[in-house]
Amino acid sequence: MESLGSIFERAKLERRRLLLTSLAGLGAAGMTGLAGRRAFGQDQPQLANSLRSLTNPYHASFAKGGEMFAQSVGAPYEVLVTEGNSEKGISDVRALLAKSGGNLALCIDPNDTPDTRVIVEACAKAGASVVTIWNKPADLHPWDFDPNYVAHISFDGAPYGKQMAETLIEKMGGSGGIVALGGIFNNTPAIERKQGLDEALAANPNVHLLDFQVADWLETKSFEITQAWLTRFGSDIKGIWAANDGMALGAIEALRAEGLAGSIPVTGIDGIRQAVDAVKSGEMVGTVDWDPIWVGGMGLSIAYHAHTKKIDIAKEPHLHREFYGTGVPITYKNVDEYIANYIDKTPTIDWNDLWGRVSGQIRAG
Amino acid sequence: MAASAIRLPPASRIERLRAFTPVIVLVVVFAVIGAIAPAFLSIDNLVRIMNASAIPLCLALGATFIILMGSIDLSVEGVVAMGAVLTALLVQNGANANDLGFLAIPLVLLMGAAFGFVNGVVHVKLQIPSFMVTLGMSFIAIGIATVMLAGERVRITDTTFRELALGRVLGIPMGVWVALAATLVAYVIQTRTRLGRWIFAVGGGEDILRLTSVPVGRVRILAFTLAGVFYGLGGILSAAQLGQGHALMGQGRLFTTITAVVVGGTSLMGGQGGVQNTLVGVLIVVGLANGMVLMGVPPYVQTGVQGVLIIAAVALAVDRSRARIIK
Amino acid sequence: MSAGGRTAALELVGVDKRFPGVHALKNVSLEVRPGEVVGLIGENGAGKSTLMKILSGVYQPDGGEIRHDGRKVVLRSPIDAAATGIGMVHQEQSLLTNLTVAENIWLGKEKPFLKGRLIDHKAMAAAARRQLEKVQIDIDPTVVTEKLSFAQRQMVELAKVLTLEEEIEGHLVIMLDEPTSVLEQAEIDILFARVRALRDRASFVFVSHRLDEILDLSDRVYVMKDGAVVAEMPSADADTEKLHSLMVGRSRNAEYYKENRQKPYRPEVVMAASGLTLAGAYEGVDFELHAGEVLGIAGVIGSGREELARTLGGLAPATGGTLTVFGRPARLATPGEAVSLGIGYVPRERRVEGIVGFLPVVANITLGNLRAVTRGGLIDHAKERTTAETWVKRLAIKTPTIRTLVMNLSGGNQQKVVLAKWINAGAKIIVLDHPTRGLDVGAKEEVYELVRSITAEGVAVILTSDTLEETIGLSHRIIVMKDKRVTERFEAMPGGKPDQLDLIRHMV
Repeated sequence: MESLGSIFERAKLERRRLLLTSLAGLGAAGMTGLAGRRAFGQDQPQLANSLRSLTNPYHASFAKGGEMFAQSVGAPYEVLVTEGNSEKGISDVRALLAKSGGNLALCIDPNDTPDTRVIVEACAKAGASVVTIWNKPADLHPWDFDPNYVAHISFDGAPYGKQMAETLIEKMGGSGGIVALGGIFNNTPAIERKQGLDEALAANPNVHLLDFQVADWLETKSFEITQAWLTRFGSDIKGIWAANDGMALGAIEALRAEGLAGSIPVTGIDGIRQAVDAVKSGEMVGTVDWDPIWVGGMGLSIAYHAHTKKIDIAKEPHLHREFYGTGVPITYKNVDEYIANYIDKTPTIDWNDLWGRVSGQIRAG
Repeated sequence: MAASAIRLPPASRIERLRAFTPVIVLVVVFAVIGAIAPAFLSIDNLVRIMNASAIPLCLALGATFIILMGSIDLSVEGVVAMGAVLTALLVQNGANANDLGFLAIPLVLLMGAAFGFVNGVVHVKLQIPSFMVTLGMSFIAIGIATVMLAGERVRITDTTFRELALGRVLGIPMGVWVALAATLVAYVIQTRTRLGRWIFAVGGGEDILRLTSVPVGRVRILAFTLAGVFYGLGGILSAAQLGQGHALMGQGRLFTTITAVVVGGTSLMGGQGGVQNTLVGVLIVVGLANGMVLMGVPPYVQTGVQGVLIIAAVALAVDRSRARIIK
Repeated sequence: MSAGGRTAALELVGVDKRFPGVHALKNVSLEVRPGEVVGLIGENGAGKSTLMKILSGVYQPDGGEIRHDGRKVVLRSPIDAAATGIGMVHQEQSLLTNLTVAENIWLGKEKPFLKGRLIDHKAMAAAARRQLEKVQIDIDPTVVTEKLSFAQRQMVELAKVLTLEEEIEGHLVIMLDEPTSVLEQAEIDILFARVRALRDRASFVFVSHRLDEILDLSDRVYVMKDGAVVAEMPSADADTEKLHSLMVGRSRNAEYYKENRQKPYRPEVVMAASGLTLAGAYEGVDFELHAGEVLGIAGVIGSGREELARTLGGLAPATGGTLTVFGRPARLATPGEAVSLGIGYVPRERRVEGIVGFLPVVANITLGNLRAVTRGGLIDHAKERTTAETWVKRLAIKTPTIRTLVMNLSGGNQQKVVLAKWINAGAKIIVLDHPTRGLDVGAKEEVYELVRSITAEGVAVILTSDTLEETIGLSHRIIVMKDKRVTERFEAMPGGKPDQLDLIRHMV
């Protein structure tokens, strides 16, 4: 039921490899967390973000968001890096709980779903406040551990899959055939995003799905599949929908090899830098940015607000305790604006607008 | 005396026929797909299949030498990723000021050789099974690539360099020509050098080499080094084809590589097969993947078909070795 | 077909077996009476192992029949054979060393010990203990087999075979395939005592190379030669010398061994040993080997000659004495050192160590010296072909083309390819370790011709052979070994060849 990004799935793979890498003794580089900053106000709680690895852009931004929030309130901030190791993740949290005497507001992207319960229980016991991101067992709810388990934030793939399909259809002029590239079968974001595509297709009877293929999130596979599609459907292909940016970029390279890049609209999801560039250059028409700076900062902000009793979290509705965040769609229409606001400068986020991006309560199951 | 003359002429005829099994399979696969989806055999699509085969071919050529020795090399994905990342960082790119252009190629090949060399040395000197060493090496390579880029992707902005994949000569992408040249080099190494001969001999029976002057350890190290060079080339072509480098560029390459080598008829036991088999095997695997999309085979069935293919190929190889024992 | 009015426990009538190019068993008839121990002897290649394999259901006979308790039986597999009542104690022990004794004894027969789906180990151990009592050995059945000595394992094997007793009707026949080869004398005595004690439970077929043991344990002896039974007699009427001469036969065909082509060896000494010793294997061996000479080493198993041959091939470095090769002291610590000194070792297991079956003839021949056909880093295929063709012609290798895979050649021709490889690589001394083992008559003859050809060119040969006939026929000189020492030397030039009995006298 947790909605994982595809970046995330790949980061998971990467983390397993990294784990082995570090076993091989080569993982030392770039792994130490950002140094804790001494507080100006001694009464401020310790703040911390826990994440997988600073070597992927998603988590690097996640950590940065936490730091931005910590600076805004002048509280000490620390980054805990799990390196894909659940034990390390849990023991780092325990160590920080001990060090801070429970005066801790934590925003954590747990290494693995089962870790969540252990960490939440440890925080509840120590009196700390915790917000979890993406990963959580379906039967564990923040209100089970009032007030320490503050909230859980995730993202729903379906509306964005739908929105990208709509962007694609609009660019195509409302009719014609499209082909679609899905992520690894059985993978929650892959299923959700595809569901969004199906909804958009149902609403647009003039657009038909020529073929759907699974490219396992990989650009190499999407490259080969797109080639075969060009043979099979040729000029009948009026648009290509991809469940993530990597596959979208693979499709574009297959088009480029035939001199077709830019002439057939392509959409992705995840908002990686190259996809944004491709939207800007016209080779893609849309992607979705999950805004990890917001996630990392706002998760911590909610934990902080609850911990410092600025809000009474136990009285908040369930919609505020377990919710889907809001992604930032980037399309051919708003790409310049997006680049100006998000890339050329770091966006200013109102850290007190706790519920501004709540887009719905997380569906059960 | 007459009785001791050539004992099994029929067997050798079957043996000769067996040597052509992969080619027959290739022809049948192409004919059947072509019958169901005529567009499959169009010139455009054949060129696409060739284009899609270029990188798998380079990788499978390297793996062929290893599998001929009866070893296995699982470092493909890691070295390809390293190769692609290094290529992307050395040519004009969006992350640093380098602009080596085609000079990047020898450097990346050298990197591939270095990884292969370490594979070989660790395998031979520390007596660790090749699958374990190379698996570890794959993780290490991906780890280094990840750290080098901090998880980012590097975009190649050198358009001349990208011609390596995108440019066409006689209507056929450059990448295909590069892969064909690599095949020729591999074939010459296989048939015309002592290393090539020794690789076969190691695969055919390491024990006997104990009694000859063949330096088995050195042969193994050299073969792994050679394989690394081919993986490096695969990494270069990947970078050129996708216009970027990142740590997961090699993902999904290992299975295709091993499948292609085995389907081509190179025995996992070693000693039998070769570069020419691998060429056929790659065309079967890539052609089938392309054909399944053309025929509208459901995505989840496609993976199954590939699995069946590799098991069938290995079963065929097992049958062959059994014939050897019966005799 | 019964003897003494009693039905034989096991009977072979006119059993025939052919393999491609080899007539392995020729109309073999043999019977084993209840409670009897039958000895079976013969040189290597006489057909003993084929016979054993037919009795244990591994091979099916082409003709004739097998009767158990007078009824015709067909043994399609070892399981069939066991169900019939024919058990086998293997030469290479068949126990799984990682399992306990009890698990080994009841391997594949665990059903009676199942409680639900789980094995009742206590019951199994108790039952195993009862089996071990039959052979009067006190071993804890829960012990892991690898902790046992070879002798103890042999007893466990015997106990395991005896479990058949409770499962079959009629007589149990147990085949002992060279059971003593890994045992010490004291252990052999115990084994024999047990076998004797078990005669009221089973009959035995006892195969051994040690004739004194055969005479000691057996009631009757069958002698096999060239796939046929050549003699059968009560042990009381036999002695080792008599058995030996029956085994080797008397006639030696000078033409067969190409003795007319045997040229005198040259005066130069290519290899010399003085006081050569390998602790535990042989002691104080002296010999000189001349260019163009065939030096035969004769001796029974355990005489030390096998180890001596391996020493000369670089596979078992000597621990004492001196060895010179082409006048220079040599240690031959590794096969590589032997190769570099110009010594080629042709092992008996050609398929394992002598050739690369997957490679064509041409590649095998040039494998030992590829540098000679390499130009500018690339193999010169034309030159390589010429080299190979020369050897194919010189050694009369029968192959359709030089591109034929060696695995498709006959044994004799494979042997020639191995030799061609060595001589092409510059070997001047060839150690032939049982060069004709497993070859049919025609192929053997080709090897003999080959030996003549290479010695005529000055190559020296050290020969250990399966038969005395062959040793005498091929050699210029023969050294005879017994109990780790050289006991006699014979000149064996054409016209002055020693008699087999002369050799036997110094061997046993």
